[in-house]
Amino acid sequence: MVLDKVAEVIVDTAHCKIEDVTPEAELVALGVDSLKAITVLFELEEAFDIEIPNEVIPSIVTVNDIIEKISKTQH
Amino acid sequence: MLNRRVVVTGLGAVSGPGINVPAFWNALKAGRSAIKPFDLPIDNIKISLAVTVPDFDPKQHFSSDELTILDRYSQLAVIAAQEAVDDAGLVCGEEMLTGAAAIIGSGCGGKHTDEATYERLYKQQRTRVHPLTIPKGMPSAAASMVSLHLGIKGPAFALASACASGSHAIIQGMSMIHSGMIDVALVGASDAPFTYGLLKSWDALRVLSNDTCRPFCKDRSGLVLGEGAGMLVLEAEEHAKTRGARIYAELAGCGMTSDAGHITRPDVEGITNAIKKALHHAEIDLSEVDYINAHGTATRANDVAESEAINRVFGDYADKLAVSSTKSMHGHALGASSALELVASTLAIHHGIIPPTANFTEADELCNLDYVPNNARQQDVNVAMSNSFAFGGLNAVIALKKYR
Repeated sequence: MVLDKVAEVIVDTAHCKIEDVTPEAELVALGVDSLKAITVLFELEEAFDIEIPNEVIPSIVTVNDIIEKISKTQH
Repeated sequence: MLNRRVVVTGLGAVSGPGINVPAFWNALKAGRSAIKPFDLPIDNIKISLAVTVPDFDPKQHFSSDELTILDRYSQLAVIAAQEAVDDAGLVCGEEMLTGAAAIIGSGCGGKHTDEATYERLYKQQRTRVHPLTIPKGMPSAAASMVSLHLGIKGPAFALASACASGSHAIIQGMSMIHSGMIDVALVGASDAPFTYGLLKSWDALRVLSNDTCRPFCKDRSGLVLGEGAGMLVLEAEEHAKTRGARIYAELAGCGMTSDAGHITRPDVEGITNAIKKALHHAEIDLSEVDYINAHGTATRANDVAESEAINRVFGDYADKLAVSSTKSMHGHALGASSALELVASTLAIHHGIIPPTANFTEADELCNLDYVPNNARQQDVNVAMSNSFAFGGLNAVIALKKYR
């Protein structure tokens, strides 16, 4: 469910193919540059009503990194 | 290279009459006002009139990605800039445009973005705002977006002097070409002031008309706000001639003064000196001037002060001048007005047609010039001047002449 929402936001923002948004996919490879990345995080913060702290952003490389941060924040 | 002649080779206009220069000019030469009943979905305001860009659907002009970063004032700026560049025959990616300057004025900047953000935070009590709020709303956003869309890599920046922003931007571009710094400049201004907070603020000044905009008339009741963008391509004369560009007119000179007086009331002396300086700078004798596109806001204070200043400068010759305010047709689009008015003045020279003051009834006793009431006049125009006087007492006058 989290992956579905993350994939939807990434596709809306970067206009990549939904099938390319796998947990292992690197954001840069999907066309998510640094500005698009903060847009993706903004949309996900809104969708899940969470706060993703600035400090964790440098460690976000793959789609799975985002999913992990969301899961941690939700707990 | 110093003091090169500067010519106008491209025009762009997004305004109440329409989304291009032909729509703008057709309305002006027909004396057709674009003032309409205020019908925007904004509640709780007393304003009854506005000049909005008709049938404007941003999605027809920009992708959804582009729209996430384009405030409405940037949208209008980019469309007008693209038209001006196309009109000049310049091509994106080619050196002539790549090396150009983009100097874009604005009276109010990215207000749509700012207000949407504040509404979200203060009214909706949300705690997060969109990450692109800063680059979308910043006062230089339009300059950046024009540069980005057209591939302009020369000097690009914004310029603000309220309702004279366009004129000051045009003068800045002209000066940079004069000095040899650049060969081509895209200059103008854009404003999109129809937001709740800005409308309330204008209403509080008690200068908005609920009748219509009738500059210089006895029964005038104030200005009507508009939105839009005016853009011009300026070029060094030899640059334009070498590439065989069509030359609309020569930008002959300018005069700038500031009143250092009242924050809103215009100062006759400041205006007089700006007009005198423009004539002197352009090396034009006052008897050569055919047409003045007036600042002509239709406020009580402006129209009397402006008429008096013109009389002071021109003396007996003032009777022979045609003076009109095209704000009666495109509204007062703040900084963009001054750029739209220079587009109108350029076309007056190019076509030999003087646009009228629309909605004209009877002249104010203190306004005794020929205001070209209601009907355009076919007349050879060798020299035209455009007046712009901003709140805060910032005056800019530009002189154009037929290119020979």
